[in-house]
Amino acid sequence: MESIELLSPAALREHPGLAVVAAIGLLLCVDLLAKLAGLQVGPLGGSLSVARLGSNLWNGLVIGLVIGLAGIGLSMTYSILNFANFSHGDLVSTGAFTGWGVAFVVAAAGSQPLGALVTVRDAGDVTPGAIGAHVLSTPGAIVVGLLAAFAITAVVSLAIDRAFYKPMRDRGGIALLITSVGVALVVRYLIQFAYGADRRGITASVDGDTLATPLGVSVTAHQLTIAVAAIGLMVAMHYTLQRTKLGTAMRAMADNKDLALITGIPAERVVAATWILGGGLAGASGYLYVLLRGTIQFDFGWSLLLLIFAAVILGGIGSIYGAIAGGLVIGLVFTTSTVWISSDFNAAAAFAVMILVLLLRPEGLFGGVSTA
Amino acid sequence: MNGDSADVGTDADPNESAGATARTDHTLDDEAMLRIRGLDAGYGDLQILTDVDLDVADGEYVTIVGPNGAGKSTVMKTVFGLTTYMDGTIEFDGEAIEATPPEEIIHEGIGFVPQTDNVFPGLSVEENLEMGAYILDSVPQDRLEAVYDRFPILRERRDQKAGNLSGGQRQMVAMGRTLMLDPDLLLLDEPSAGLAPDLVDDMFDRIDRINESGTAILMVEQNAKEALRRCDRGYVLVDGENRYTDRGETLLGDEQVRQDFLGG
Repeated sequence: MESIELLSPAALREHPGLAVVAAIGLLLCVDLLAKLAGLQVGPLGGSLSVARLGSNLWNGLVIGLVIGLAGIGLSMTYSILNFANFSHGDLVSTGAFTGWGVAFVVAAAGSQPLGALVTVRDAGDVTPGAIGAHVLSTPGAIVVGLLAAFAITAVVSLAIDRAFYKPMRDRGGIALLITSVGVALVVRYLIQFAYGADRRGITASVDGDTLATPLGVSVTAHQLTIAVAAIGLMVAMHYTLQRTKLGTAMRAMADNKDLALITGIPAERVVAATWILGGGLAGASGYLYVLLRGTIQFDFGWSLLLLIFAAVILGGIGSIYGAIAGGLVIGLVFTTSTVWISSDFNAAAAFAVMILVLLLRPEGLFGGVSTA
Repeated sequence: MNGDSADVGTDADPNESAGATARTDHTLDDEAMLRIRGLDAGYGDLQILTDVDLDVADGEYVTIVGPNGAGKSTVMKTVFGLTTYMDGTIEFDGEAIEATPPEEIIHEGIGFVPQTDNVFPGLSVEENLEMGAYILDSVPQDRLEAVYDRFPILRERRDQKAGNLSGGQRQMVAMGRTLMLDPDLLLLDEPSAGLAPDLVDDMFDRIDRINESGTAILMVEQNAKEALRRCDRGYVLVDGENRYTDRGETLLGDEQVRQDFLGG
């Protein structure tokens, strides 16, 4: 309904740029259809299998869910604590390393040296195959690891808040933002100190990993695990915010801090809940990201932060539903753009779409709909 | 009570005290529920209030009027700890509250409806009201029903977002939210501001009824004539200091007050 209004003749007259964007979008759609049909019309068309497009969409959906999950916490700290948290990406890394350390211990304690497992293969000489972490062979370890990633990152976030952000609470968003850049560096290099700097493999390969191939799109066990876990966590978050007293108080505080104060809502308890939930989800998303990629590196969360920010801003900063929607858009553009351009540029395509959306809808997709 | 002619609750003939324009000292009531003495307050280094005295007795309806920038709203915000407190005392039920943080004032039995941004726009009407009872373990359903009985339109709109309501309905949500705790004292900052003219009288009638049900009111109003006509007692605040204090009707009848503050 919104898009129809957006493309009405009046709207097009008012925003000529919109017409250009719509024309390009239409062109890409025609091109896509031509490619799928195997037609070559001048510069348009070519060939593209349904399986490849489907696979792009499915991969985009999965990575979009992970980015969206990470974005929820970023959006919440923005709306409730009023600052853009640049250490959020390193909370993503924190969850990944601590969660996988626990998952490895559960998967292979006894058969492999504990030091190698806890440090996620930094110490000792143990291969991912020897640990054998995979959702099909060690489902319990994968689930326990996810819970640990959530819990440990929640505790770390809360501790960081008490140590760094709480004393700065009344200094305003810019001071907190700069503090968070410092916190990001501290966390990132503590992770490097504890877990080492090299990129390494995490998950084992297992026969029968591809569960199904609808329309030629391979759906792996890990992709399915990620989709189920991410959607489950999002639904749980939705219910927490909409149906519990504390969640309603969080939305109230995001809406109007002064009013929340004089209504007797205990600000510090809401702040603590924000860090526990937002930090926990960041940690969980980092753990799931590694499950998707199969590898880990101490600064991957920092690299991912730009995409997470893009998702949150695209969706309308402050809204968790915007963060989810933005994550999906970024993820889908990230993967489907490879139909037209080299995968070296797919991040650029994601940012281009973000900029276009913001030009047409400066408040973001869900902007102005304050939902914490 | 000191038995002064202009004291709270006495039946002094307005004609007798007309023109007296008593200083607050003559009307101070040591028994008052809210008792402000020698209050200095402001924002940061900027002092707005100087040596302000103000009382509200149990069940009383008190208004503060005065020109723009007189510090009327600052008095209320200071009671709630939202300004920079500098000196003086604020007592409520005999207990000093000037150092009480804002989120705890509500536990004392004081509710506050700010002038603007007084609802949570993203929350439904019912969620707004429920947040009013946040400090209780569970939402008191009887009070929720009482609020809906008082403002029936809110019952119809209970699931709508408060941000989508009209100005008058938002004001009802804001008042309803504070009534969820059945406060002893309700602070109202310009409740008629921004309302369509035909709704202003209606809003004042609702405030009368809240007061009649036993809740004391301390109200700041631009609409000074109407406020003074309805209240028990009025304070005229000028440049952050007490200027006149008397029964509302008396202040309305006072030539000096009329000329200086009520536009003749």
